[in-house]
Amino acid sequence: MSNGSAFVKDLHFAGTAIWQVLVASVVLGAGLPVIFALGVRSLAWGTGNETGGGEGGAARPGNPMGKVLAVVLFAVVLYVLALGIYYIVVAGHGKELDFNGIWPSQVAKS
Amino acid sequence: MGVPDRPVTRHAGGVSAETLVLVLVVATALGFDFTNGFHDTGNAMATSIATGALKPRIAVALSAVMNLVGAFLSVAVALTVTNAVVKTFSAATTDPSTGTVTPAHLTMSGDALLMIVLGGLIGGIVWNLLTWLLGLPSSSSHALFGGLIGAAITANGWNGVNWVGDGTKLDGVVGKVLLPAVASPIVAALVAGLATWIIFKIIGGIAHRTSEEGFRWGQVGTASLVSLAHGTNDAQKTMGVITLALIATGHWSADATTIPFWVKLSCALAIALGTYLGGWRIIRTLGKGLVEIESPQGMAAEASSAAVILASSHLGFALSTTHVATGSILGTGLGKPGAEVRWGVAGRMVIGWLLTLPAAAVVGGVMWGIGDLLGNTAGAIVEFVILIGLAGYIFSRSRANAVGAHNVNDDWSGMPAASAPAAELTTGGVA
Repeated sequence: MSNGSAFVKDLHFAGTAIWQVLVASVVLGAGLPVIFALGVRSLAWGTGNETGGGEGGAARPGNPMGKVLAVVLFAVVLYVLALGIYYIVVAGHGKELDFNGIWPSQVAKS
Repeated sequence: MGVPDRPVTRHAGGVSAETLVLVLVVATALGFDFTNGFHDTGNAMATSIATGALKPRIAVALSAVMNLVGAFLSVAVALTVTNAVVKTFSAATTDPSTGTVTPAHLTMSGDALLMIVLGGLIGGIVWNLLTWLLGLPSSSSHALFGGLIGAAITANGWNGVNWVGDGTKLDGVVGKVLLPAVASPIVAALVAGLATWIIFKIIGGIAHRTSEEGFRWGQVGTASLVSLAHGTNDAQKTMGVITLALIATGHWSADATTIPFWVKLSCALAIALGTYLGGWRIIRTLGKGLVEIESPQGMAAEASSAAVILASSHLGFALSTTHVATGSILGTGLGKPGAEVRWGVAGRMVIGWLLTLPAAAVVGGVMWGIGDLLGNTAGAIVEFVILIGLAGYIFSRSRANAVGAHNVNDDWSGMPAASAPAAELTTGGVA
């Protein structure tokens, strides 16, 4: 019965797709906010807004390194967001992005 | 095997009658697009509104603009959107030599297809409005698919529906609707939960105010991305449906990348206007009802939603923005130690999702039956009048416990609906 096998194939295709979506989503979807969180934490370090560490919330002088680190981390987040927008634009034109290295290029949809 | 053409003999005949039906189909499609807009505003913006990252009115305006831009970005048209569940096209979607789509590629006559599409759209709209009244986020594409399935079954029998595809790719009701509906909220919840858990580990030592302020920016950025992706995906579906109707009636013949500009413009405006209207009842459920969220969770939820939506569209895995967004928000509740997840609310949503296909299918099937009984032209007019009547009734019911920008963020337990007649339905006894 061809319907039965098509159903099994659907399950198989879905299993493959779900697995790939999960991996990509963990990297991008969890990675992005985690980098952002590191940025927020670095900024707090840089501006002396950390309250933890058992120091009773006493204000500490900021560390300039924290600010530099925060800028770098936020820049990474902005880059990924820009990639997302770029991807949507390209996909809207029926193409895909080829992540050949860090700089993506447009390719025809396979 | 092809679906036998079902000659529709009772239509009033003549070009003008068919044109009238076409006009009603286009109007109904734009109406569906509009409900699609306000039904889904919350998917992107509920978290930002709930945490105060954006004022409610600003949030819906931003989302509307992003949807408008997104709708215009989509050049490729989802012409085959109906084919996912209904056997619309015979083997070839396009003419290999010219690359155009003509009525010859369809499995049924143009007016038969119009009536199925009309029934399907009405089924989708009625379910969208009903779930909106109940404050339930549910998938607009599933509502449309359900309506189409019901109309196709009554029209062409069980075999008129594309249940499992042909085994060469993920297709059909199983591959494009059911499996993604089960998988996508779970994936989104896992990703958002993981992100939330790590975030709170990282920001554990800093002042609450500092993290709230910082993460609001992240929230706005990721929520905008979700809105943009929504505009490209969902507006495209309605554009595809309208263009298909035009092709079926011989008013347009095109390759898969050109659609009439007025179709693109009207669909973009319809979904953006719908988004701007807000769908406050659903925003409230997503932002306040499911989980009490803070800014870091909001960003985790929207980043997870954006990643799952984009990764899926990259891999050709059809899914519903609503299922993803709901899964993400639920996941942020699971990932934050001590956060409360209102499982009663989540359970009602899942019941809503399970009912979406059959409920919309019943409406779609009944609508097709009316068309069959009265003839296409009279049937289409009666169906349209019924739709207007139902929409008006649901809207008037909603006024009894109106939710808007002013009370969208009120405490969930102090629901403004508490004393209204529909309170039991609206809160499901949770309040």
